[in-house]
Order: sequence, then C-alpha cells, then structure tokens
Amino acid sequence: MHFVMSTDLSPLTDPLTDQLGQQLMSETPVVESDLSAMSRCFTSTFVTIFLAELGDKTQVATLLLSAQSHKPWVVFVGSALALISTSLVGVLLGQWLSKLLTPRRLELATGTILLIVSVLLFVDVAGMG
Amino acid sequence: MDWNLLGLSFVTVFLAELGDKSQFAAIALSGSSKFPKAVFLGSVAALVLASLLGVIVGEGTAQILPPQLAKTIAAISFAVMAAKLLFFGEAEVLDPEISAPEVLSSVSETVESHD
Repeated sequence: MHFVMSTDLSPLTDPLTDQLGQQLMSETPVVESDLSAMSRCFTSTFVTIFLAELGDKTQVATLLLSAQSHKPWVVFVGSALALISTSLVGVLLGQWLSKLLTPRRLELATGTILLIVSVLLFVDVAGMG
Repeated sequence: MDWNLLGLSFVTVFLAELGDKSQFAAIALSGSSKFPKAVFLGSVAALVLASLLGVIVGEGTAQILPPQLAKTIAAISFAVMAAKLLFFGEAEVLDPEISAPEVLSSVSETVESHD
C-alpha cells in the first residue's frame, strides 16, 4: 500500500516537472524576454545606423553650416529635428508595409531593402578609398 | 534664436536624409520588427548622436573611428540581417505572435506561387 502511494505521488515532486510547471505558471520570463528583445532591437538599430551615418554627407552638411554660421547649436537643433522627422517617416512607412504584405513577402521586401542599403554602403566605402 | 538658420539646417538635413540609406534601413527594420518604437528611438538616437559629433568634434570623428571602417562594419551587419530575412525567414521563427491565419495565408500564397 505504502509503495503504491509513493509511486503515485512521485510525479508531483519530480523536480523537472515542478520546474516546467513554474515556467508555465509565471508570467515574468515572457515579460523579461520581451524587454530584452526590445532593447536588442534598439541596440542593433542604433549601432548599425550610427556606424552607417558616421562621416556621411549629412554630417558634412551640418559641419559646414555650423562652421559658416558660428552658431553650431542652432544648426544642431535644426538638423536633429530633421533627423527625427525622417526617422518617423521611415518607421511609419515600415509599419504601413508590414500591414500591407503577408509575413513571408514582408521578409523578402525588408531583406531586399537591407541588401540595397548594404550595397550602397559598400559603394560609399569604395568611393572614399 | 536664429529662425532662418534653424529653418535652413532643418531643410538641408531633411532633404539630404529623405530617401537616404538610413531611412531605408529604418523602413526595413521597423517593418520586420515587433518593436517599431524601439527602432524609431534607436534610429533617432544614432542620427542625432552622429550629428552632435559632427557639430562638436567636426572632422575629428575620423581620427576616433575611420568612416570607411565604420561603414564597412555597418554594411556587413545589414547584409547579415538581409540574409537572415531572405533565406532563413528569421523574423517568422523569432516572432511567436504571428497569428495562425497569417501563417496560413502566407503558406497558401507560397503554394500558389509554385504552381
């Protein structure tokens, strides 16, 4: 009798099953992974665009304007507002595309756009050398 | 505040960046991401910081990190992201929130395109 009881209860105290149950019950791992995915998204966007824009023609234009005018901060505010606007337009276009296309076609479209950006950057590098 | 200069810098930079590669990157990244707000903030932070460096350091940035090297690294990362999207369907694998009907419609579309 005692033997039967212990085998009946063993699945409940099994550490592996317990862990699985806890994972299924708690909401925190989902939130954490969402946050880390979000920050990864921010970081990869930030790093790639920053590196792509370093020494680009916008920077040259800002530099020339601020040097000519001797009012670098006015030029900085104007250019920052312009960059916020173009980013907003870009992100809104991306959102619109993602609603318009099926997931696989969206991947093909966004993948192609990123490939074009990559080629344009390589062309830039070749032109600099 | 010099409003003419402010307007001039706004228009100059806006026109220079409109249809430029960083805007294309923002379109593609926000389209393939679950977090368009994070893409927007990342893009704004990167562009504003690059422009701030342009104002403060001027040509000095070239001494910290040569633009050729920076652009090459960026080009390779964009190529890797493009390859993930084009050949491995990474976004769909990573994104569990894509609803079943959407997956079904994309599958049926793929089947149709093979006919």
